[in-house]
Amino acid sequence: MIRSNPEELIRKNIARFVDNEIIPIAQELDNKGEFPRDIFKKLSKMGIFGIRYPRHRGGSGGNTTLFCIICEEISRGLLSVASIVAMQSLMGTNFLFHYGTGEMFEEFFLPAMRGEKIGCFCMTEPDAGSDLGAITTRATEVDDGYLINGMKTWVTDGPEASFYTVMCQTDPSKRLRGIGYFFIPRNLPGVSLSSRFQCLGTRTTPICEVAFKDVFIPKEYRLTPEGEGLNAFLKIIAEIRAMTAALALGLQRAAMADSIKYANERMASGKPIGKFQLVQSKIANMATNLEASKLMTYRATAMIDEGKEALKEATMAKYFATESACSASDECTRIFAGYGYSMEYTAQRYFRDARFLLNGGGTHEVLQCNIARWVGI
Amino acid sequence: MNIVVLIKQVPGNSDVKLDPKTGNLIREGIDAIINPDDLQALETAITLKETLGAKVTVLTMGPPQAIDALSEAIGMGADGAILLSDRAFAGADTWATSFTLGKAIQRIGKFDLILAGRQAIDGDTAQVGPQVAECLDLPQVTYVFDIETVENGYVRVKRRLEDGYERIQCSLPALLTIIGGPVKPRYPEVASLLSACHAKAPIQVWNAADIGVTTADVGMSGSFTQVVKTFAPKFERHGELLEGSAVEVVHNLIERLKQNKLI
Ligand SMILES: Cc1cc2nc3c(=O)[nH]c(=O)nc-3n(C[C@H](O)[C@H](O)[C@H](O)COP(=O)(O)OP(=O)(O)OC[C@H]3O[C@@H](n4cnc5c(N)ncnc54)[C@H](O)[C@@H]3O)c2cc1C
Repeated sequence: MIRSNPEELIRKNIARFVDNEIIPIAQELDNKGEFPRDIFKKLSKMGIFGIRYPRHRGGSGGNTTLFCIICEEISRGLLSVASIVAMQSLMGTNFLFHYGTGEMFEEFFLPAMRGEKIGCFCMTEPDAGSDLGAITTRATEVDDGYLINGMKTWVTDGPEASFYTVMCQTDPSKRLRGIGYFFIPRNLPGVSLSSRFQCLGTRTTPICEVAFKDVFIPKEYRLTPEGEGLNAFLKIIAEIRAMTAALALGLQRAAMADSIKYANERMASGKPIGKFQLVQSKIANMATNLEASKLMTYRATAMIDEGKEALKEATMAKYFATESACSASDECTRIFAGYGYSMEYTAQRYFRDARFLLNGGGTHEVLQCNIARWVGI
Repeated sequence: MNIVVLIKQVPGNSDVKLDPKTGNLIREGIDAIINPDDLQALETAITLKETLGAKVTVLTMGPPQAIDALSEAIGMGADGAILLSDRAFAGADTWATSFTLGKAIQRIGKFDLILAGRQAIDGDTAQVGPQVAECLDLPQVTYVFDIETVENGYVRVKRRLEDGYERIQCSLPALLTIIGGPVKPRYPEVASLLSACHAKAPIQVWNAADIGVTTADVGMSGSFTQVVKTFAPKFERHGELLEGSAVEVVHNLIERLKQNKLI
């Protein structure tokens, strides 16, 4: 019996959306730097945000591979939109989905799948980034619930959010073993937001600080049971890194496609610049790195889908694909030369957006330390 | 109401290249897509299904890879799809294609409306829709961009003209060829796309025997025309700017037109 391959079919259809609805306005969206509400709504109608969740529980019945294919395609159009999609489909809703009560599912999760409510993920603090064991946002047990106090920063989509999944410390003496995830709706008393950050790249993604002052939450808003916070973190971090690698893949493809087109058209000394070997070398490196990134990324996602431990593979994929995205966008600006420095061309945007990937999912210094440790250092 | 939609999978890039030696299309690296006018026909059918209630069956003739076009159609909301695939169908010209599609529609049996795209971006003939209507002896309206009503055995449509439009009432069953209108084709939900990949998805594959045709009537042997050679046009025309006073330029221009035997 002949049937379509789901991965190819989904990729093709998302590509049609990206080509028609995102690429023609990507530059304009980036210039404006506003949350892409219209696109967000359209993506929700296609059931994109539920791709990782099963159909019988409000999702679209896909898996991590399909999720990453979607992230990659959207990132090819505009990385900041893809980062919003990733937040809504993965970090912003994952713990709510797995640990929330039926009531929370109806009130927050299903509306999030429909694009009516936005979820965020708050781990980083002003004084704790890479070293999450040092977070000081505190969840203190009180009668019937918890009091939350602390400050989170670099909250992707923070200004647009309806609810936050917040990593809190329950017992500072335990450091990482004391952490847990808590659910905090934005409209609770004591939640306040900073103004929006001005950022180098991914300019449609709004980011801010979120402060919690004596915020009372009921018991059921503790998402991860006691002692399970660290495990929950380790489980999701592999998927976050695979997703970040997929975002990097999309950016590499965009930078490479524009570089090839430009190199074939731009004339110098009577021939297209693509005829010069030094330009060919840049393109050849982009193509080779892209191919390797693809293999690494989708090997990691396949392992995740098979329920295998994939933190090492996902970490290596994120590290390699992101470094390749940084290099491809850098080379792209060189191929465009003067026009790579112009805000009217795409090269500068790829160059700026790529820097986001260096931080999301862990810095590369930290990733390299992890990798070295895993191979025996 | 039963609607049959005819769709074709085409190379998704207007920048199609031909192999200079063989004259064949270079398909590598080019995604196949549903032909844009056909996608519009599909959208029209599914809108009718939503507003008036209808069963939408999608039909395509093509190689096994054309299954993706049908999966996408199911994802958009079609109720069933049929792939006409048989080595015997290969090499069909527009006549043999129309004949084969017509036979398949007869096998489907019940239909009130057949919708096709106006033309495919790879061949640009705009012949298949009208020829299918001829094969089935049906009335047809081409260049339809709006279906106003379907009632009492008639369909009323707007048909695009160069400088305006016609409103036409046509008895059913009928064949309409569709062009882009105000409604853009929808994007399928990912869950529906995934369902379309299941073994249980309502997609059938029919071969020559299934539609009761002999191999002599279809494909290359059933074709009246044959493509002798395909080539990419060379753009060798160059513009030339005539300079001088208006009087000089006009004289110069008339001289050139005469030289080229244009006047
Ligand atoms: C656009 C953007 C969006 C973000 N969105 C979110 C979000 O939604 N939620 C969220 O929680 N966070 C978010 N972050 C924060 C991101 O996760 C952190 O920036 C990242 O974890 C690094 O933390 P830091 O910036 O505090 O750097 P630091 O930890 O202060 O690191 C500074 C430098 O020291 C190096 N370093 C630190 N520790 C080590 C070590 N052990 N070994 C070697 N080198 C080390 C780092 O690699 C880096 O070079 C976002 C960041 C950005 C830029």
